[in-house]
Amino acid sequence: MTYFVIFLGICFMLGVLAVASNPSPYYGVVGLVVASVMGCGWLVSLGVSFVSLALFLVYLGGMLVVFVYSVSLAADPYPEAWGDWRVVGYGLGFVLVVWMGVVLGGLVDFWKVGVVTVDGGGVSFARLDFSGVAVFYSCGVGLFLVAGWGLLLALFVVLELVRGLSRGAIRAV
Amino acid sequence: MSPLHFSFYSAFTFSSLGLAFHRTHLISALLCLESMMLSMFIPLSIWPVENQTPSFALVPILMLAFSTCEAGTGLAMLVASARTHGSDHLHNLNLLQC
Repeated sequence: MTYFVIFLGICFMLGVLAVASNPSPYYGVVGLVVASVMGCGWLVSLGVSFVSLALFLVYLGGMLVVFVYSVSLAADPYPEAWGDWRVVGYGLGFVLVVWMGVVLGGLVDFWKVGVVTVDGGGVSFARLDFSGVAVFYSCGVGLFLVAGWGLLLALFVVLELVRGLSRGAIRAV
Repeated sequence: MSPLHFSFYSAFTFSSLGLAFHRTHLISALLCLESMMLSMFIPLSIWPVENQTPSFALVPILMLAFSTCEAGTGLAMLVASARTHGSDHLHNLNLLQC
């Protein structure tokens, strides 16, 4: 089970590396989907299934769907995937930078595993993540209102940025 | 450093390097921003489990809400750039040149 969770962590890292090596955007979205699936599996293995489901719904089902159809604005005649030497070169360069950071920073004591799961303090009536997010509605109601206001404001910001022909925010003429 | 902590630490570093060394498309830089947000969401969700403090489980949900705003604004700028310049290539954004 330990090795399965470490495998999920390694696949999370590889998925993010697939996005960071900047292939053509069609393939970058694939890397992001793989990374978020691995991250959700990792969270489920710890027992916090609520934030994992929230990530799936909001991130994969909301934000990435919008990204996928916006990628159609970024069409390449010859898309570069991970078989292209430029993309692989960027990926290897980033791995080299992180490897140098680990070696020079002295972070070599690598095999300490063992993390507390959500039942570490005993089984309770309400699970840890459910009761934590429920604070959002009781003591943190001010933050709830601020977040809702910010989301509503973002809608109007988007509307103003993509407004019609001659009065938009980004114009070269 | 435990291997799982190293995993999200290096994921954040990869995404910020990918944002810094972007290539042609604006949307690849936006995807690197999204992966930075994802690689911060995972440790923020693990923190209340490791320290057994339920009240901190609110923070990743709040971060998700604000990063949705940021993603929407970034995509709106992508659409505006595609309307003005015809594509989202970063070498077209050159208002400062004579």
